[in-house]
Amino acid sequence: MAEHAHDAHDEHGHDDHGPRHYIKIYIALLVLLVISVAGPFLEIQVITLMTAFGIAVVKAFLVAKYFMHLDVQPKYVIYFLVTALAFMGLFFFGVAPDVLHHEGQNWVNVDARDEVSRQLSAQAHLAQFDCSAEEHPHVDVEPMEGVANAFHTHGCNADGYWECEDGSCEQLEAGAGVFIAQAAFVTTCGPCHGEGGAGDGAAAAALDPHPANFTDPAFWAQERVTHEHIVSVIADGGAANGRSALMAAFGEQFTEEQIEALATYIESLNPNAAQ
Amino acid sequence: MKPVATTRTSAGIQTGRLAVWWLLASEIVIFGGLLGSYIMHRIGHPEWADYASHTNTWIGAFNTFVLLSSSLSAVLAHYAAEQGQGKKAARYLLMTCGGGLVFLIVKSIEWTIEITHGFKITTNGFWGFYYVAAGIHASHVIVGMGVMLWVAWYAWNDRELQRVELVGIYWHFVDLVWIFLFPLLYIAK
Repeated sequence: MAEHAHDAHDEHGHDDHGPRHYIKIYIALLVLLVISVAGPFLEIQVITLMTAFGIAVVKAFLVAKYFMHLDVQPKYVIYFLVTALAFMGLFFFGVAPDVLHHEGQNWVNVDARDEVSRQLSAQAHLAQFDCSAEEHPHVDVEPMEGVANAFHTHGCNADGYWECEDGSCEQLEAGAGVFIAQAAFVTTCGPCHGEGGAGDGAAAAALDPHPANFTDPAFWAQERVTHEHIVSVIADGGAANGRSALMAAFGEQFTEEQIEALATYIESLNPNAAQ
Repeated sequence: MKPVATTRTSAGIQTGRLAVWWLLASEIVIFGGLLGSYIMHRIGHPEWADYASHTNTWIGAFNTFVLLSSSLSAVLAHYAAEQGQGKKAARYLLMTCGGGLVFLIVKSIEWTIEITHGFKITTNGFWGFYYVAAGIHASHVIVGMGVMLWVAWYAWNDRELQRVELVGIYWHFVDLVWIFLFPLLYIAK
């Protein structure tokens, strides 16, 4: 059926056609590929997005025009392809406002909760790893006067912090079997509130409302923020205290004394605490 | 006149080619819906940037290079078919298939590394989209390779050379989808 193929050739009938031309387009595509990979190295987000998606559109145009010969097809071919694209746009703009909304009635943000639990278990895994590797915890644990050594537990794996895989206790810098509020904060609170308590943990971006920032004076300026309030939020969770439902309750994980120690530690993050 | 009217024209275009364009219109809706969903979730979940940082840009870039190269050989096959050189067209189609094979091998190595590092389809939303989008794309590569081998077999015997262009158009579209998947999954971090 070679003659039919020749017909097709005649149908195209223009000069931008032939191996040399195709190789030129191919080289242009490779240059664009290199630019799109190089873009992120500048570490400027706007440029990354432009080199990534702007170039993708240019590459798509080159492939469609010169390799697929879209420009020499009957007009209605382009019309129905554009119609398909329009349906894609209709779908996107019809659904996105709902998907991008992070709260609603009769609805629980399961995704944000999953993110919190993923980050918590990731931290627990990390703590376990550090311990079995006979290394000190990766966080720099500084015993705090009146807080860190104030509460003794029944072993280093008793309350969900530096747990050893074989159940034995590693001698930590601050002493084995000691509840270290800072370490507990980093492992348990850090995934959302950030290791330094600035509300910038790994899961924070996913959470709406955002986790509290304990280094922000505005947080401490709230009237309801008292020692008792903090203790109550840690023990019973956010929902029970008029805060975000994404703040889980830790009353079962920690003893009352430990929660007191955690609250005291959190208060030490208040930038105005010394005053 | 052949009973299967793929080479007849009644609408200013070979019926076979018109059919391929309609197929691609339906593919636009399939991949468009998938990528549209991914984009809206990606915008809604800034933490996905962390997950995306685990994808390997170099592997993605290499596979982009492979697909672009295979597109070149596909269009060269089309050119050879237009010149009535069936055997040459068949060789170019085989090269294109080879590109598809390299793409799939790299992809399977990449996935093996990721899965053994704990990034599975059920790990979270990002990895769910990652495997579904790249998986549906890879299945298009596999189907394209199968059809291309069949077309190459005919072309080798100087038969049905018009099909070389048709399978080429489909292959370029698969390349085109990857052109968008690459920045979405590998570059925007």
